[in-house]
Amino acid sequence: VSTSTPYWSRQTHNPFDSLRVAITGGTSGLGLALVHELLNRTAQVAFVARTRDNVERLIRELPEAHGIVGDVSVKEDAHPIAMQVLGALGGLDVLINNASDLGPTPLALLADTECEDVERALATNLLGPFRLTKALLGSLAASARERGGALVVNISSDAAINAYSRWGAYGASKAALLHLSRIWDEELATARVRVLSFDPGDMDTPLHAAAVPDADPSMLKRPATAARELARVIADVLPQRGPDPKTKFRAASQ
Amino acid sequence: MRAASLPVQRAADAKLLVVNRRGDLEHQLRSEFASLLHPGDLVIANNAATLPASLFGTHIPSGRSVEVRLAGRDSLSDTRHFSVVVFGEGDFRMRTEDRPKPPQLSPGDKLALGPLRGTVMRVLSHPRLISLQFEGSPRAIWEGLARHGRPIQYAHIAVPLAVWDTWTSIAGPPVAFEPPSAGFVLDWAMLASMAERNTRFETITHAAGISSTGDPELDALLPLDEPYWISHSAALAIKQTRERCGRIIAVGTTVVRALEHAAAVFDGFVPAGERLATQKIGASTRLRVVDGIVSGTHEPGTSHYELLRAFVDDEKLRLIDRELDAHQYRTHEFGDSVFVEKGDHQTRPRAGNRAPHETADFSNSRRFTCMS
Repeated sequence: VSTSTPYWSRQTHNPFDSLRVAITGGTSGLGLALVHELLNRTAQVAFVARTRDNVERLIRELPEAHGIVGDVSVKEDAHPIAMQVLGALGGLDVLINNASDLGPTPLALLADTECEDVERALATNLLGPFRLTKALLGSLAASARERGGALVVNISSDAAINAYSRWGAYGASKAALLHLSRIWDEELATARVRVLSFDPGDMDTPLHAAAVPDADPSMLKRPATAARELARVIADVLPQRGPDPKTKFRAASQ
Repeated sequence: MRAASLPVQRAADAKLLVVNRRGDLEHQLRSEFASLLHPGDLVIANNAATLPASLFGTHIPSGRSVEVRLAGRDSLSDTRHFSVVVFGEGDFRMRTEDRPKPPQLSPGDKLALGPLRGTVMRVLSHPRLISLQFEGSPRAIWEGLARHGRPIQYAHIAVPLAVWDTWTSIAGPPVAFEPPSAGFVLDWAMLASMAERNTRFETITHAAGISSTGDPELDALLPLDEPYWISHSAALAIKQTRERCGRIIAVGTTVVRALEHAAAVFDGFVPAGERLATQKIGASTRLRVVDGIVSGTHEPGTSHYELLRAFVDDEKLRLIDRELDAHQYRTHEFGDSVFVEKGDHQTRPRAGNRAPHETADFSNSRRFTCMS
């Protein structure tokens, strides 16, 4: 093992140091909180959002973050987004599929929901994460071989499990995403790529405000709190990663 | 052979001609490739994703339309400097041989390529092969390439290729200019099947350059220099596989070029890291690392074909050609494949994957030979 890495520093190794993370829906709500949280933990962060002005504004505020304009619900955007993520970070260890579509607003009974609203929710909440994960899977698997593990986090909701009236488009798409995550996690076990669902709870975000306009924000979880909780989950799931591939290689080759 | 004209990466009936080290020929379904592997073998593929390397725009001094094809680079991380081939008006539906010549290109000429702006830095070894420098931040260049670039198209493919047609199942860093198409053989079920038989799988990243331009003078310069990255896990797997006398099987010519370049520089050792492959591989190349190659089928005269001469002698290669023709194998990127083991006569005692400092007193007593 490299003599330049003293015992104590290996003990206090920060799992986020040089971790390459991509976050969709990164300019508001939980996504924005995750960008802040992971940058604070010294990860390398690329974020994706649809609106160029919002992306540019966040880059000015956080010049160390890599901003990418793209819409995960659009098939033709998946590879351009993936290319820019990999161009910015040089590889990828963690993908957080956070961008979500609520379906019709105000929320509607399924029988009153337009097909187009369901299609849009599925495109953003199910097909988008599927396509982007697929486009980035080669990089995640390469990271897993090199560093011991990689991770996809799909942001979920209790609406994925419980049948809430008026949450049909959102709930059905999130239920499908939850099941997709479970199957993919099973299939990628040998590749050491984990696919997890994370339910952040009811947060004070633009999405929640659109769904429940009269909710009292003070009763809702702050996105920063949920971001901290997710960071802890990421640190727990990636414990077996080598601190640095170079160190790992030297150790293994002796 | 006939050209594969549809962009289907894994046609259900894709064929694989297997040539073992004794020179025996056998036809297999390509989807059964994993069943030809042994426990302890190591399969290495190139995980470069393919950039949309064809950029249409204008040569500002002449006002004429041009197509610029990114063709090569010296480093995997430099996003500003590329070697490019410039074509005149027209598109892929016209055979590249028939395309009008581009305007005369001189250092300092500006090119407007959609949102991208570039400057001709130097004219390289051919009037249409230039060194181009993009303006702007890496972020703007990546966005410009991702949004404005189109995959390099082929006249023999009936429909325009989309980006996803050009990415292998395992595609990672977007640094190749044309698909490392031997990797089309792979899917995730095949990787799982390899894992079940204790065959290891690793990737390296090799910036596969342009494979053909339609111009014989230009094509004679190919392959251009190509940067590659060997991961620590791949380097370690190579070392362990050689110690245990497993076979090292390269998926694609780019993997052979990268591994053999490293081995030539480091006297048989393949260390992790980024380097620039500059050599051509042919009949006179002594392969030091790779025991077998999975490749598309290629026509005599191409650099891919030339590379196979390092694996088998010319007589055997002619026999392979006749067999491919007789059984109607499809050629080009989306065609059928061959799996060729290095011939017995080409095999030499192998050195372990030793660290460079150990090679100083490299004596026969420290070598070991893998007996079959």
